[in-house]
Amino acid sequence: MFDFAGLLQGFQIALSPVNLLWCLIGSILGTAVGVLPGLGPAATIALLLPVSMKMGSPVTAIILMSGIFYGAMYGGSTTSILLNLPGEAASVVTCIDGHQMARKGRAGAALGVAAIGSFIAGTVGVIGLTMMAPPLAEFALKFGPPEYVALTVLGLLLATYLAGASPLRGLTMAIMGLILGSVGLDPLSGAVRFDFGVPDLQSNIDFVTIAMGLFGVGEILISLEQSEAASILTTKIKNVFPTMADLAKSGWAMIRGSIIGFVVGILPGGGAVLSSLISYAVEKKVSKHPEEFGQGAIEGVAGPEAANNSAASSSFIPLLTLGIPGNASTAMIFAALLIHGITPGPFLLKEHAPVFWGVVASMYIGNVALLVLNLPLVGIWAQLLKVPYAFMAPMIMVLTLVGVYSVNNSVFDIWVMLVMGVFGYLARKLKFDLGPLLLAFVLGPIMERSLRQALLMSHGSFGIFFTRPISGVLLAVAVLFVLGNLVTALRAKREAAAA
Amino acid sequence: MKKAMWCLALVTVAVVGFAATSMAAYPDKPIQLIVPYSAGGSTDVLARAIGQVAPRFFPQPVVVVNKAGGGGIPGRVDVVKARPDGYTLLFGWGSGEDLVVPHQRSLPYDIFKDFETVCRISVHSIVLAAPTNAPYKTLPELVKWAKANEPVTATVSTKGGSVDITLLLFAKAAGFKLTTVPGSGGADAITKLVGGHVPFGGQHPSEVLPHFKAERLKGLAVAFDKRDPSVPDIPTFKEFGYDVVTAGSVKGVAVPKGTPKEITAYLEKQFKAIADDAEFQKIMKDLGQPVLYQNAAEYTTWFKAAYDQYGQLIKTLGIETK
Repeated sequence: MFDFAGLLQGFQIALSPVNLLWCLIGSILGTAVGVLPGLGPAATIALLLPVSMKMGSPVTAIILMSGIFYGAMYGGSTTSILLNLPGEAASVVTCIDGHQMARKGRAGAALGVAAIGSFIAGTVGVIGLTMMAPPLAEFALKFGPPEYVALTVLGLLLATYLAGASPLRGLTMAIMGLILGSVGLDPLSGAVRFDFGVPDLQSNIDFVTIAMGLFGVGEILISLEQSEAASILTTKIKNVFPTMADLAKSGWAMIRGSIIGFVVGILPGGGAVLSSLISYAVEKKVSKHPEEFGQGAIEGVAGPEAANNSAASSSFIPLLTLGIPGNASTAMIFAALLIHGITPGPFLLKEHAPVFWGVVASMYIGNVALLVLNLPLVGIWAQLLKVPYAFMAPMIMVLTLVGVYSVNNSVFDIWVMLVMGVFGYLARKLKFDLGPLLLAFVLGPIMERSLRQALLMSHGSFGIFFTRPISGVLLAVAVLFVLGNLVTALRAKREAAAA
Repeated sequence: MKKAMWCLALVTVAVVGFAATSMAAYPDKPIQLIVPYSAGGSTDVLARAIGQVAPRFFPQPVVVVNKAGGGGIPGRVDVVKARPDGYTLLFGWGSGEDLVVPHQRSLPYDIFKDFETVCRISVHSIVLAAPTNAPYKTLPELVKWAKANEPVTATVSTKGGSVDITLLLFAKAAGFKLTTVPGSGGADAITKLVGGHVPFGGQHPSEVLPHFKAERLKGLAVAFDKRDPSVPDIPTFKEFGYDVVTAGSVKGVAVPKGTPKEITAYLEKQFKAIADDAEFQKIMKDLGQPVLYQNAAEYTTWFKAAYDQYGQLIKTLGIETK
């Protein structure tokens, strides 16, 4: 099954000066796009589509595009950690502990661990892609609407669970997220919901708008209340790079995250988001000191960051072996392949083996390049926190305003973001966690669509969720998860009463 | 922190103000081609093929923007709401949402009053496809199976779209009960079909060609009056005696009403040049999509006829979507 000669030929192609150059450009561009909020990898790849056609060889074009995609996964954590501003849905979880670490002067350690975790996971993902792409693709096909319902139910439970101290508050925010996610036109029938007669609300609210409002603007409002001395930015930055102890602590988290990300990332739609969520919950569960989570636990950065990178690599599996793109970025690469006259699918490997192996080999190279590029950047990024907040706050504000406007070129979105900013400020004042809201906002529409599709498939019978093995098992896991936490909570209560 | 607050306020005002300012001579900024479906579907891929050759025909970039979901309505709402300055174009004008849906329910816009036709680029026929491992290999076998297993389900790209109507039309003609399962576009529907989660589905040839080639899916019938040149091996419904002939899904270009005449004329001319371009035609052949250009006048007449035909079909056959 493993075609060593093919991989060697791939390296030969990927290491040719032109391809190597574009692989590096893609990685660097991807990092930049990941760091900048608003502009995402999918939009960047779309912008480069016409340019890539002038490159002559399709391998070169796809190498550039995939570089942008996985490069963005490296960059995505940067603003989450430094500014509590998630650049994309998959790095929402990174905010929770990453930003806490930054507040404690450990931004460098968080960024370093994120970069190393991304490298390990990216490489694990590509090795998996090399060794066992076709059988895994068959597994991904087993996921139909009922399986997605089960998966999103599990995802929402995890989102509520990771809220920390109060599940009730987590649940409240998750419900808010579901409501916000259903504003606009109904995904199946196109009926208008919650638009209050405002035509702008008929288009669904964009993720970037909500995330930048709640986190970015909310953070600025909160910081305006604090005196300069209390602000994170004057905290002394201890060590710029992660220590050996940090790496020892996060090593297993990275490996677990890589595996989780790889498996979940194969599924079309929301794979990266779900994998980062699952990884965070797993880390919290297996940790000997779960109380540190939410306060700056390094495993809470290492695991999810590894997971989303590994998921990025494995999302190439359904694209290249089945011709099914699982997210906006791979859909763009799908279109690029088609326009180059190459049909993604089972025949790609047979008819265009050099393209397949060239792209795979470039991913090994790109991941090394990204590590080399990102580790020195850690020091520079960490220095950024020394800039007085009086200058930082307006800069962040410009970044979020331009970022939000750039998504849909809509001034209305800017207002939505500002309203969300005030909401985010109030929520944080009242000690409500924003993570569950954002994650429910992403998962809700997938769950709704899948639920309705599944019930149409079963002619209204809920049995479909329990009779199909994968969804049955996932739902059983969800039930066990709830029961397990209930028992733990009750026991803790009884012990507290007894003591 | 007073300083910071002032800086903030200033910056906010400056950015909002800048975003609202406008432009000079056409086209002096990128032109947006709004695709109201998800990336990777047949409309999207066609738009991207145009985007690829566009630099030779437009002095400014032509950017493809996906606005998926909501049965294709939100993308159209965006175009209607856009300033009629020729920078926001609807791609996919003449799809089921334009020819079929207006007969069934009220929309946040008027199909004849809010859009201005620019041209037609292509027509996508509708092919009934099923997984190769299904117990039925031909259309008559499928009908027999469906009657024995009523009610059956089928995937369609969007609710009330031309694919949805065509399959319901076929079920009615063949006399079995069918529930269609809509998705958020062609790509979403194909994933379910290739995974074997739904017994069969309706697709456009270009979307399923890779899966036909990989022998995961098999085309059973085409809803055209004669065989589609992109899938010449697949018989028409008519050949089996079912009167299932629809206009398919039409891929044209429109702009918001009120766009200046010289801008629409300019766009029409450039799109005609693209349709005649050898490189574009080669790409379209690779994509499995036919180039069937019509200018604004021809397409406006054709559009009205197809619209009336769908209206008639819906009425006489009593097909409804909720």
